[in-house]
Amino acid sequence: MSVPVDYYVLLSMALFCIGLFGILTRRNALMFLMSVEIMLNAANVNLIAFAFYHGNLTGQVFALFTMALAAAEVAVGLGIILVLYRNFRDVDVTVPSAMRW
Amino acid sequence: MAPLIELHSWSALAPTLILALTGLVLFVFDSIDPRSTNRSALAGISTAGALASLGVAVWYIVAGVGDPTRRGTFDLFGGQLIVDQMALFFMVVVAVVTAMVSIASYDYFLEHAYQAEYYSLMLLAATGMSTMAAANSLVTVFIALELASLPSFALVAILKTNRGSVEAGLKYFLIGALSSAIFVYGISLVYGATGYMQLEAIAQNLEGAEGFSGLLGLGVVMLIGGFAYKTASVPFHFWAPEAYEGAPAPISAFLSSASKAAGFVIAFRVFATAFPIETMADIGIDWTLAFVILAIVTMTIGNFAAATQENVKRMLAYSSVGHAGYALIGLAGLTGTGSNDVVLGAAMMHLLVYGFMNTGAFLFIALAEYWGVGRTFEDYNGLAKQAPMASAAMTIFMFSLAGIPPFGGFFSKYFLLTGAIDAGLLVVAVALVVNSALSLYYYSRLVKALWIEEPVVERDSLTQPTGLYVAIIFAAVMTVVILPGFGPVADTAIEAAAAVVP
Repeated sequence: MSVPVDYYVLLSMALFCIGLFGILTRRNALMFLMSVEIMLNAANVNLIAFAFYHGNLTGQVFALFTMALAAAEVAVGLGIILVLYRNFRDVDVTVPSAMRW
Repeated sequence: MAPLIELHSWSALAPTLILALTGLVLFVFDSIDPRSTNRSALAGISTAGALASLGVAVWYIVAGVGDPTRRGTFDLFGGQLIVDQMALFFMVVVAVVTAMVSIASYDYFLEHAYQAEYYSLMLLAATGMSTMAAANSLVTVFIALELASLPSFALVAILKTNRGSVEAGLKYFLIGALSSAIFVYGISLVYGATGYMQLEAIAQNLEGAEGFSGLLGLGVVMLIGGFAYKTASVPFHFWAPEAYEGAPAPISAFLSSASKAAGFVIAFRVFATAFPIETMADIGIDWTLAFVILAIVTMTIGNFAAATQENVKRMLAYSSVGHAGYALIGLAGLTGTGSNDVVLGAAMMHLLVYGFMNTGAFLFIALAEYWGVGRTFEDYNGLAKQAPMASAAMTIFMFSLAGIPPFGGFFSKYFLLTGAIDAGLLVVAVALVVNSALSLYYYSRLVKALWIEEPVVERDSLTQPTGLYVAIIFAAVMTVVILPGFGPVADTAIEAAAAVVP
């Protein structure tokens, strides 16, 4: 392999942390969704790099599944964000706060 | 005795397939008559499907499917799915909760515009939960988990013009998306360390993963995060009070019973099969310790927060977090010493009994919302005079949740306690007893409000919606009847657990 697998893991961990940082700091629900997508794609990078490293295809096939599921998740998420906007006239995730303990 | 008809091996998945088929039938019904609000037909189809699934699963257990000494377990699709006793046990839990919630929804969603969508989403979520019971590979675990989660997000937010429901749906979705990203990253790390996704194959290749123990450990921690979300336990429990409070009450019942049980079955199977504790301890990853801490923290947080609530639905939501802590003992007790099958079996029994008593309790909340009596303890004052039967059922649920002897909840807690002591987890056993005692305070507070207090405001006479009453009475009867029938249930659960524990 031309590039050692360590570098791929570093790349994916960097992506994962960027996504996590986005989730913790962003208040816009759409940005939140994008950050989750970055985290899911970090896992995909890992899966494909490890599939190459181990020489079996399980990881690559699972990466395809992950992409499909991520798309399904975004579809449901956008639907929820749409009703959020209709009810609150905003897509800020901190606005709906009627329920607190 | 030779079977009369030789069935194909994938027919072992029949309980799951029936749920999926019912969901699709509801879609067909909806596409033929999109504006239909024929509640009887829709609730009838979905109840019939859930009951058929329940019947087949019970029949399989009785006939010995999954029992290694009788018909054997069924490995399907190259070991991606497995039908053993534990899978069938949890398919029963999911199917029975789905049936009760379907019947109750008939009355609750009286004037809802999207009837068919509601029932088909619920059946699809149930299909996902039923598949989770059989998943035997990290791939199928993740896909089944998403199949259960995605319809649940939509179901929580289904009251589109109700701000509480939308807020609950948003919070549930955001935490769900985050935790599924963490979960899939954990899967990728475990795959990287071992090179396999199938659970037995992971266990066989753990020795080769010593060089990657850091990756593997991080992966295991992330998997625990994913399970914690699905079972509403610490550290991903904070969505639960919001989602259960804002969601329509039948959906709260569905998520807090069936979804939690399904989350536990994948946790049990993944940790018992893929990460045997002896091998993992050699690598330096002692995951039972993590579950000991999580169990204690979860039950303590859940019960203390429940004790301070004024809103009954929110109290039940926190009590549901507390019960997740009790069931976590099943994983904390897999220390390799003591009788592992008893403690895991006890957790399975607790989830079954919980499926009845907790669903029933949330359906009583649904009944109260249907009457429009209000949300706080005070609003429930004196309900027993107007609706004695439902209040008696609620009293049974409350005392059973607290673990008072004559009801089902006592026995499962008793088994958990003996299992924890057997495994040498005295701290956990003490935490279980202390928390149960505390929980009696807020459960009996509701009972007192129902029977003893005088109503704050005058109420009109209350109607008796058939569907809700049928579901609540059935749950109450099962909570009581499970006591004399506890012998066979306990045997099945412990036998099923013994087959999974290495």
